[in-house]
Amino acid sequence: MLRKIIISFLKWILLIIILFFFLFPVYWLVTTAFKHSQDWFSWPPVLIPRSLTLENFTGQARGFEGSLSSSIENIVPYLKNSLIIALFTSLFCTIISASAAYSIARFKTGGRRLASWIVSIRMLPPISTVLPIYILFRNLKLLDTWWAVILMHLVFTIPFSTWVLISFFNGIPKELDEAAYIDGASIWKTFLYLILPLSAPGIAAMATLAFIMSWGEFLIALILTSSPRSQTLPIFLGRYITGFRIAWGPLAAAGLVTMIPVIVFSFTMQRYLLKGLTFGAVKY
Amino acid sequence: MEKTIKKSAILMVLPLILFFVFLTIFPFLYMLFMSFHHYNLLEWKPPYFIGLENYINVFKDQGVKSSLSFTITLVLVALPIEILLGTFIAIFIQNLIGEKFVRSVLLIPMMVPAVVAGVMWKMLFNVEYGPVNYFLSLLNIDKIPWLGSSFYSKVAVIIMDIWQWTPFIFLVLYAGIQTIPQDLIEAGKVDGANRWMILRHIEFPMLKPLFWILIILRLVDILKLFDIVYMTTFGGPGYATHSISFYIYKVSVSFGWDVGYGSALSVLLLVVITILTTILIRTMRLWELLEL
Repeated sequence: MLRKIIISFLKWILLIIILFFFLFPVYWLVTTAFKHSQDWFSWPPVLIPRSLTLENFTGQARGFEGSLSSSIENIVPYLKNSLIIALFTSLFCTIISASAAYSIARFKTGGRRLASWIVSIRMLPPISTVLPIYILFRNLKLLDTWWAVILMHLVFTIPFSTWVLISFFNGIPKELDEAAYIDGASIWKTFLYLILPLSAPGIAAMATLAFIMSWGEFLIALILTSSPRSQTLPIFLGRYITGFRIAWGPLAAAGLVTMIPVIVFSFTMQRYLLKGLTFGAVKY
Repeated sequence: MEKTIKKSAILMVLPLILFFVFLTIFPFLYMLFMSFHHYNLLEWKPPYFIGLENYINVFKDQGVKSSLSFTITLVLVALPIEILLGTFIAIFIQNLIGEKFVRSVLLIPMMVPAVVAGVMWKMLFNVEYGPVNYFLSLLNIDKIPWLGSSFYSKVAVIIMDIWQWTPFIFLVLYAGIQTIPQDLIEAGKVDGANRWMILRHIEFPMLKPLFWILIILRLVDILKLFDIVYMTTFGGPGYATHSISFYIYKVSVSFGWDVGYGSALSVLLLVVITILTTILIRTMRLWELLEL
């Protein structure tokens, strides 16, 4: 009996340590976002802030020494760029990958070779494609536009969703499609009115994942954009890491803004996202 | 009928194929072409052919050596820790109270955009005011210059990588364990096997292919490592924490604008990635997963 109690006690301690390691950084970011500037630099660090403020977001407290910015009030254009880029990436990604996935799942179009090719594009390091793309887009006058970023974000979101959607579509019995063909529906109609509604959760999850991936992407946006016309939130964050003293509060606030949609989405879509995240490696 | 179906089926994949030909194959060919040229965007002169010089330079380059050795360190240190820790949590969490809660909460680190993760850890690792040093001071350990010394900055990147990717390993293995047929485990129990024997003789062998997949996926990701390094150490101090991607970025964009040399490095990186991906596709038997 005593042995059991000790073991379960140890288990709890271990669990708390694990959760602490994985969650404390998030806690720290969230609280710092609401801390007064005197609490940014203090020893011992303010683990549990006594009072909270919105200054870091709105910027009433001016003149923080050594940094250009003391709030994130000028975040709006970046927020807008991020939203537009992520939304369009997600939309185009869904259209292109759903139709391709349907074709591959049902008609084995391209066979193994095409499927393997799609996976290998998912493995591509962004740095290795973005260089030639930079020069190409420069000649096409596409640099520093939403389109440049959207197109490149599609490169790594499409393979991923295509892949996962193939297995979603495989989960829908083929007999359904065949019945539809016999009733005289074309492939397109079958796809639009039968398959899409049936796989709506999967499609929504992949659209969400594409949104999240585009939203958080950094390297591509860093290279292809150069002004608030098209720079995204992660680039905005990167800019804060300058100056001889970093304004922790606004930096954390900006980080929080960048993180919130991702966290909200991932909790609501969790069940379906898991399938995508584990890359179909395991059949859920 | 057959024919129109076939036509439509091809029409449905066509956008994807055209898209990737335009945005990956074409750029790749261009990059291959560039890698045999001297081309520096700062010099305002057209590229000229220099044969294999860029590739020869790769072998003399100190930066390549450092970033390669850092990458190998990551693979040898971070990856095993991630796999062990992830496996441990996946097993540990089974049938524990709060299993679901832990599973959802552990999703957070891998979902947090890497740039934001960088911001978090930059605050945590701060020498003067960072909580990490504070917790260490409770154990009577002196302040550690996490992002300032070449040894500790490596440790810092390793810790950040572990923080962000252990949850991924955990999730895949956790899902893997769930798919092991319960009656197999029951049968083992009936035969008198204890927890450890079940783990060793039933669960591990069934998870083996997953471990391979995870190792290759993580290898590919380590070669892509960029955001966190950019946000926290910026590759420094010196060359201590240059990841491969970061080094290519530095050579070809942020400092050098030497597109020719950067292209040569990228081509080599792509060769490595292609080999890894081929192995991945084979070990995963990807086509079987997709019923192709």
